[in-house]
Amino acid sequence: MSIRRFRNSLALTVLLAAAGDAGAQQLSEHQLVNTLGQVAEAASAVDVAMLAQELAANPGKGIASLPHWSRLATLPQFFVEINFENNSVAIEPGSYRTLGLIADALHHPLLLRYKFLVVGHTNATGDAKHNLDLSARRAEAIAEALGTTFSVAPNRLFSIGVGSEMPVDPANPKAADNRRVQLLNIGLVK
Amino acid sequence: MANRLSVFSGTVLIAVLVQTGVGQTQTISYADAATLLAKECGADVKKFCKGLNLGNGRIQNCLAQHQAKVSPACTSTMVGVTASIQQRLAAQASVDKICARDAARACRGVVPGKAHILGCLLKATRIVGAKCSQAITDAGWR
Repeated sequence: MSIRRFRNSLALTVLLAAAGDAGAQQLSEHQLVNTLGQVAEAASAVDVAMLAQELAANPGKGIASLPHWSRLATLPQFFVEINFENNSVAIEPGSYRTLGLIADALHHPLLLRYKFLVVGHTNATGDAKHNLDLSARRAEAIAEALGTTFSVAPNRLFSIGVGSEMPVDPANPKAADNRRVQLLNIGLVK
Repeated sequence: MANRLSVFSGTVLIAVLVQTGVGQTQTISYADAATLLAKECGADVKKFCKGLNLGNGRIQNCLAQHQAKVSPACTSTMVGVTASIQQRLAAQASVDKICARDAARACRGVVPGKAHILGCLLKATRIVGAKCSQAITDAGWR
């Protein structure tokens, strides 16, 4: 099971879309658990406050190479597509299942000791400040839904929105592919 | 958590459990629960609960407030799904206790930790009893 496969949001989107029957659903939940559980021995916990600080101090310059942000690339993670109503934090019913799959994975014994960061990304269409704000509120909405409706302990969940500061496709910042949700295992719960 | 989710009364609950076939020993995953909700309640959510996020009981409360207009299928799905999720959470919380004796017999010398013990119990099918086995199934950890 390679993490790299999940770097491509399309791969998981297709996987989730195909997860109609119980067998396929089982498979993808196991894949999420395995992907998120591949923690390197030496991994140190990520400081979310430092991520927010770096983000705020570097508007419009991109964040992927900043000291704290660059470390995220080494963490167990995957990308999913979660759809929202236009300009809103309301998650579309069509994306409830994706949240449910994430919740099932986070309730698995292999992942119970870990905390997770939800990162919201937009593409570069529209006002950058607005994108940043909306992506933060949407990431927070996902963490909130996981922490309440889906009963994941809220002290295991963190969220941050980066707008279009970290495009998956830097050559095409306006491409729709850049709109995505990233979920990372950021280390042991204290 | 129970009070947050139990929007509907217990008497309705039993009727609906029978009706939808969500039995006492059956629990479902969050993924399947969420899929059912989206399927049966998606249209009502879009009609009555525009702009509301799923979290913190907002969608459940909104659907309860509009119960007179919400489709019966959505109402019954919500109740059945809520009950079976509660059962799954209860099962997840009780696996350690129910399986303690089997773990002591089957998993001596296994590295401590919930995940390692679970891995051992899953392999030790000859030693693990029916109750522990059922608890693991209900927890969705197979």
